[in-house]
Amino acid sequence: MEIGLTNNEQAAFTMQHKSDHYCGRFYAMASPCELLIDTQDEKLAKQLTSIAQAEVIRIEKKFSRYRTDNLLHQINHSQGQSVIIDDETYRLLQFANTCFELSDGMFDLSSGVLRKAWNFNGSDQLPSPELVSSLLPRVGWQRLRFTSNELIMPADMELDFGGIGKEYAVDCVAKLCNQLAPKLSVVVNFGGDIQVTCPRKKDQSWHIGIESLQGEDLTAQLLHIKAGGLATSGDARRFLLKNGKRYSHILNPNTGYPVEDAPRSVTVAASHCIQAGLLATLALLQGPEAEQFLQNQNVQFWCYR
Amino acid sequence: MKKTINITAALASATCALLHPYASANDMLEGWKVDTSLMYYGETDRVTAVETVIAGQKDFGDERLFTGKIVIDTLTGASATGAVAQLTAQTVSRPSGQGSYTVNAGETPLDNTFKDTRVQVDGQWTQPWSDVSRITTGLHLSTEHDYYSLGFNGSYAHDFYNKNTTLSGGLAYSYDVIKPEGGLPVPFSTKTASTGYSEDYDDDGYIEEDGDDNYANDERSGSSDNKSTIDVLFGLTQVINRRMLMQFNLGVSQINGYSTDPYKVLSIVNDQGLTQSLVYENRPDSRIKTFAFWQTKYALDFGVADFSYRFATDDWKVDSHTFDSRLRINLSDSSYLQPHFRYYNQSAAEFFQPFLMEGQALPEFATADYRLGEMTAYTLGLKYGMELDNGDELSFRLEYYQQSPKNAGFTEPGTLKDVDLYPSVKAVIAQVNYRF
Repeated sequence: MEIGLTNNEQAAFTMQHKSDHYCGRFYAMASPCELLIDTQDEKLAKQLTSIAQAEVIRIEKKFSRYRTDNLLHQINHSQGQSVIIDDETYRLLQFANTCFELSDGMFDLSSGVLRKAWNFNGSDQLPSPELVSSLLPRVGWQRLRFTSNELIMPADMELDFGGIGKEYAVDCVAKLCNQLAPKLSVVVNFGGDIQVTCPRKKDQSWHIGIESLQGEDLTAQLLHIKAGGLATSGDARRFLLKNGKRYSHILNPNTGYPVEDAPRSVTVAASHCIQAGLLATLALLQGPEAEQFLQNQNVQFWCYR
Repeated sequence: MKKTINITAALASATCALLHPYASANDMLEGWKVDTSLMYYGETDRVTAVETVIAGQKDFGDERLFTGKIVIDTLTGASATGAVAQLTAQTVSRPSGQGSYTVNAGETPLDNTFKDTRVQVDGQWTQPWSDVSRITTGLHLSTEHDYYSLGFNGSYAHDFYNKNTTLSGGLAYSYDVIKPEGGLPVPFSTKTASTGYSEDYDDDGYIEEDGDDNYANDERSGSSDNKSTIDVLFGLTQVINRRMLMQFNLGVSQINGYSTDPYKVLSIVNDQGLTQSLVYENRPDSRIKTFAFWQTKYALDFGVADFSYRFATDDWKVDSHTFDSRLRINLSDSSYLQPHFRYYNQSAAEFFQPFLMEGQALPEFATADYRLGEMTAYTLGLKYGMELDNGDELSFRLEYYQQSPKNAGFTEPGTLKDVDLYPSVKAVIAQVNYRF
């Protein structure tokens, strides 16, 4: 949900027959999206990819902050008035609320407004401290009020589901695949956020390349995964560099500044992609203590500094 | 922020609420794996059984599994009574002692009123005990019109060396109540029978008569008895290499209580081989069985080879060897063919006798039940399985089974030499299985 949709919303997907599976590809949510399907049935592979694409487009349409015709736009332009929300939005808000509480306010879907000061384009353009401090009062998840059917947000705030949107889409698509083909192993991989629906027929692993940083080099690491979710968070492309200091794109909503001494990249494995994504993001927010935090979570992880 | 606190559980439940709304109602049915099968077993001229099995498995996450099974068996047809064939037709009273029927010359007397329905319910719960071990507990219930069984079991399995080795130990107890029709017969009491020729038998070789007059002659010692069984099992599963898996099991069972078949008899014959009378059998009321089992599974490029050998021995002196082999041949990614061959061989129980001689002292224990005699059996079968587009599995199995009882060294007097005392039993097994 980083880039809005073009007019080419229903762009076709591509389908490739690999040695022991089919691979469906399309582009959405500013990411290459890929489905690896453990079948020799091309029709089924096409059906699943088409359903996946439709689901991603649905979620992107509904929650992208770059559109003007959706619910999120309505919320962000409600001027403090109540907005009617549906069940799915309510569940996402509830989830975000739990994450806010679990992170003591470090994970905040209203912190996107800080981007008005920060533009992580790899340059050395740091914002002025005045600009940052002027934006800070506009961040504050606790000021939101919502019930299962309405949301009231103060006029100066903005919501952005970018922090969980892609991982949520991965899990939704995995769930649909699992409903349509319950015992078929499908890898849903949207730009490195991954969910494997169930183990493969012959119990082999899927081999998936994950982009990660090793020193200054971007390398692809090959992971073996049988089932579950995997997500990566990091500043591979989004950072600022000034006087040799690297500013990661992970902003601390309490200070308005990037978290210091955060790992460059964190990959976490969990049963669902969205869990893995959250743990990876929360780890980055821990800065120097990211590894300690992940160790305490008893999850498998890969941290690169 | 709570750096030291583990938030995974809270995150997991939040994820569940996000991705699986309305879980309470739907999840009860979702996540169940159900296996259904219908099996037909038909012996030539004897027992026909139809068995329906519905088994369900529900995964509660974190390796906690519930498995439940309901089995309904319907048996009809005839089974051997233990009495010997004669050169002339003979009249035999029903197992209950009520009524009698006539058996053709040269044919093994069968009890043709054999009909029963068995309902069995099993439930099993498995959960991790630690990172490398699991416990399983289960309950078992089964009921027939003359037999009830209640059992429970527990086992513990521990993984070693990265799950390449698993050791397990288990204990099971079951309590059975036997309530034969017409009561428990007194061992070696006479069951009314007469030899002679009867003209009006039907095509099946049996004729029904009103046999109330025979009833009073049967002796009964009570209406029910019971039996308890304790099983101890040890297992070792070992991954040999990427393709090979081996399993070793050792087990001991101790049975105490009523082990006699209340419907089985022995013929008392004179030295010309003519049946003089039929007496009820008697078996010891304790039995200790021991078995050792070895199985190897080998993954081939085109399928799986599976071979097992089982040796069992007991203090009734029944020793048996079972060789079983299956070869799964993958025809495609979603279908396979599996030939099956099984060979079985057992020695006779020490108190097995095909008949008793008139005028000789009665032994303490005796049975003429061919299932406790010397025999060999083999099974030849073929199974075809396929995975459907929706991930469900459908399979068909067809097997031929032959049991060949043998003479364990008994000499037949007179005319018994001219009849077949050890007829073979041939059966066909057909099964359809659907898993979803």
